[in-house]
Amino acid sequence: MIPLSLLIMSLLLSCGGAILCLLLKHREGDIRLGGSGVGIAAALAGLGAGLTAIGAGQPAVLDAAGPYPFAHFVLRLDPLAGLMIAVISLLSLVAWIYGFAYVREYAGRGVGAMGFFMNAFIVSMMLVVAADNGFWFLIFFEMMSLASYFLVIFDQDDEAVGAGFLYFLVAHGGSVLIMAAFFLMANQAGSFDFAAFRAHPLPAPLDSVAFLLAFIGFGAKAGMIPLHIWLPRAHPAAPSHASALMSGVMIKIGVFGIVKVGIDLLGASAGPAMLGWGLLALAFGAVSSVLGVVYALAEHDIKKLLAYHSVENIGIILLGVGTGMIGMALHQPVLAVLGLMAGLYHLLNHAVFKGLLFLGAGSTIFRTHTKDMEEMGGLARNMPWTALSFLVGALAISAIPPLNGFVSEWYTYQALFAAALDGTPLVKFAAPIAAVMLALTGALAVMCFVKAYGIMFAGAPRSHHAEEAREAPAAMVAGMAVLAVACVALGLLAPLVAPVMGRIAAATIGTAPVTLAVGATLLPGDAQQATLSTPLIAILLIAMAFLPIGLKAVFAAKRGGDRKVAAPWAAGYLPDQHMSASAGGFAQPIRMFFAPLYTMRQAIAGRWTGIAHGFERVVTLARRTEPLADRSVIAPIAGAVDASGKWLQIIQAGDFRIYCLYIVAALIALLALAV
Amino acid sequence: MLTFSHLILGLFQALLLLAAAPLVSGLSRMVRAKLHTRHGPGLLQDYRDIAKLLTRQDLTPPNSGFAFRSMPAVMLTTVLVIATGIPMLTRFTPVAPIGDLITVIYLFALARFFFSLSGIDSGSSFSGIGGSRELTMGVLVEPVMLLSLFVAALLAGSTNLGAIGSAIADGHVRSATATVIAALSFAYAIYIELGKLPYDMAEAEQELQEGPLTEYSGPSLALIKWAMALKQTVVVAWFVGVFLPFGSAPEMTVFGLLFGLVAFAIKLVLIFAAVGVVENSVARVRFRLTPQHSWVGVGAASLAFVFYLVGL
Repeated sequence: MIPLSLLIMSLLLSCGGAILCLLLKHREGDIRLGGSGVGIAAALAGLGAGLTAIGAGQPAVLDAAGPYPFAHFVLRLDPLAGLMIAVISLLSLVAWIYGFAYVREYAGRGVGAMGFFMNAFIVSMMLVVAADNGFWFLIFFEMMSLASYFLVIFDQDDEAVGAGFLYFLVAHGGSVLIMAAFFLMANQAGSFDFAAFRAHPLPAPLDSVAFLLAFIGFGAKAGMIPLHIWLPRAHPAAPSHASALMSGVMIKIGVFGIVKVGIDLLGASAGPAMLGWGLLALAFGAVSSVLGVVYALAEHDIKKLLAYHSVENIGIILLGVGTGMIGMALHQPVLAVLGLMAGLYHLLNHAVFKGLLFLGAGSTIFRTHTKDMEEMGGLARNMPWTALSFLVGALAISAIPPLNGFVSEWYTYQALFAAALDGTPLVKFAAPIAAVMLALTGALAVMCFVKAYGIMFAGAPRSHHAEEAREAPAAMVAGMAVLAVACVALGLLAPLVAPVMGRIAAATIGTAPVTLAVGATLLPGDAQQATLSTPLIAILLIAMAFLPIGLKAVFAAKRGGDRKVAAPWAAGYLPDQHMSASAGGFAQPIRMFFAPLYTMRQAIAGRWTGIAHGFERVVTLARRTEPLADRSVIAPIAGAVDASGKWLQIIQAGDFRIYCLYIVAALIALLALAV
Repeated sequence: MLTFSHLILGLFQALLLLAAAPLVSGLSRMVRAKLHTRHGPGLLQDYRDIAKLLTRQDLTPPNSGFAFRSMPAVMLTTVLVIATGIPMLTRFTPVAPIGDLITVIYLFALARFFFSLSGIDSGSSFSGIGGSRELTMGVLVEPVMLLSLFVAALLAGSTNLGAIGSAIADGHVRSATATVIAALSFAYAIYIELGKLPYDMAEAEQELQEGPLTEYSGPSLALIKWAMALKQTVVVAWFVGVFLPFGSAPEMTVFGLLFGLVAFAIKLVLIFAAVGVVENSVARVRFRLTPQHSWVGVGAASLAFVFYLVGL
């Protein structure tokens, strides 16, 4: 029961924090200190809850019967929920540390409200993953969407409000579909409890319908293509520590939902149709990963670029999850565990490095007051710690060994390889194609992050603000450092982390765990298939580095070791700041080679803006029809009242003698009636 | 599992390749001079170049930073680490956890990351464009590499480079046609990666592959030149280890290793001679037409995949 009590403690602390933020409304200094303090405590308790839930063998269940039979309040902490709670807590911990300094940017613009919505957002996310009842799940899912909506529109400018509206539409469209899926299952089970859903599985064609509804509904939340359109607009609009939470954690709840419905609720009893579900996830994953990164490359706005990368990484996670489903459908427990474990590992990794990158972007925006990369440049000199953390995040998201992003992508490749080796013909065809898509994604991601880091932090400053920039405040650097260390640790300590992920995956699927590490070596269930050792790669990289560094040192010592500075070569002209590489120019070859994909984006975006415009038209129409009722019903009544009032004015001449006469007349009339 | 003797073998072959790399690039230069009917430099010219550069002064642009300074060391280190994992003298991978096809591809990405980043960091427009083009080539080549190796790996049932090589050497692959086509498409990808004409000219300093090198000088330039020679050698060794493992030692015996060394040297010389002939008989392709060429590689790799699926 330790995990549950820790979770409840964390939830109560967060609720307390939310109320505190509201009560202290005008004392912003106190809100920063109090809000962050309570938030950090809540996050630590949540982290404890998550980790103990992963460690515990049995799921912990809290059953508080509510007043209504359909709204049974049940919290269930199984290892999967534990992982999600741990991820949410880790990111919120960092967001609170970072926010302590960062919210000064928002001084005088409702820091209290921001603290309230942050707390509400975190509490609702934790409750969504822990809820074991469809009714409460939906309630908390809505709460999460609303709280994050208010964070998106926090800036109150046109862009933020527009982005918020689009987000609102997509989020609610998604929840309607999820609701429909839950109603289908509840109809069969006779209750909204997930336990009942598991006990009374849906019959054959209906389960696919329910899965499809849930897949699209949760997919909209996760931001997979073509339902991603809100993501590159909404995430950049929110304050950076909220973006880190949204991009790092909230979209993962979408993936969590797909795993919950597809594997936990429907998977155990699903028939051969499940192969189709897995392939569907694989297809959406492959398309989302490639298109996400292609679109990211064309962005100049650092937060938009990062948001598109979230689309890419959701795709990679879906590749793992899809392979896991294929494994379940084919009754190959090793493949199922391998695939799901790769997806979950990448989910954790992406939360860490995307959180880090968003915070890094926030720090640079905090100092340069622009989101445009072209206005930054050369920040590594003045903001060395931010630059270093951002570089770690950039290397990790580009899946560079031995960092964490590489480990989970390696497992994804191995899962796809295993699927291609022993699958049905369709799987044998699809899995290698997905692997090639992943390779293309990896190469594009490297390009994108060389561009992002290079244009922002390397070279010469591109604007006055960039030149004057100072290192971010200590609290912000500390927040980034925690995540940078986590990136390195999750990579180098993969032989310890991978088996834990494997246990979570096995517990979710309900099979025996798979051997994923022996000593310091990682393996995908079978050492014959492949091996990997991130600690060994790190050791070899460090050991081999002595050779070139030593060589240079020896010769530099011989020469006296001085370096001379010389202006860059500019074909004989005077070097000019505008000559150096630009964000647009750097990605230009890809824009040229992948031009059709960018045209396609316009088409998809057009469709969505069409829907948004449709809503606007509805609103205008409503505005136009509203006075109709006024004119035909209310106006005549009001007119009649007016007219009768005017008519009555005749008897009000204003002379008190006449009023006395009225009273006398009334008295006489009453007396006459009485007699 | 990794034993101590395997680790020593891996380190030994990496250092051996490092020592021999300038010889290989010297050979390329000699072949080109002969084909141009020039007198040309001697075989050892690249050693002399590196030695001279090491004693020169290091000049850096005023706005460059950490990325620019660390790149030569990062690049040489990464390629050395890759060299420990590629089967060269032996059939198996000396350091098995590195000799995995996915790990090798992504380790090359580490070198590429810093190589291109240094281009932006130097502040020179020319270097920046070089970096961008280097990465674009990576985007075009990596999927071809992965698919062709993936097909070979599926035929062998393992993604370990040594296991693939052994399966090919022993004839344990189910589809000979698929293997041959996969080998051809991988060879094509490797050729682009070498940075030779018609896609690039590694020796011409105004060209793409050495774009980011524009601002380097002295010991840093020496290290990069060395690293690039090593990279070319490692990339060819990668191809040889997977698709032409014939003659390498199946077991770790002294005689086997010596024989493997001789066989490896012969294969390397033959391939570089052939590459020399190809690169000197074609003209430079415009950069924007490169994707049309790389589609051929994608097509060939896909063909290998189809042959694998059909099981021919």
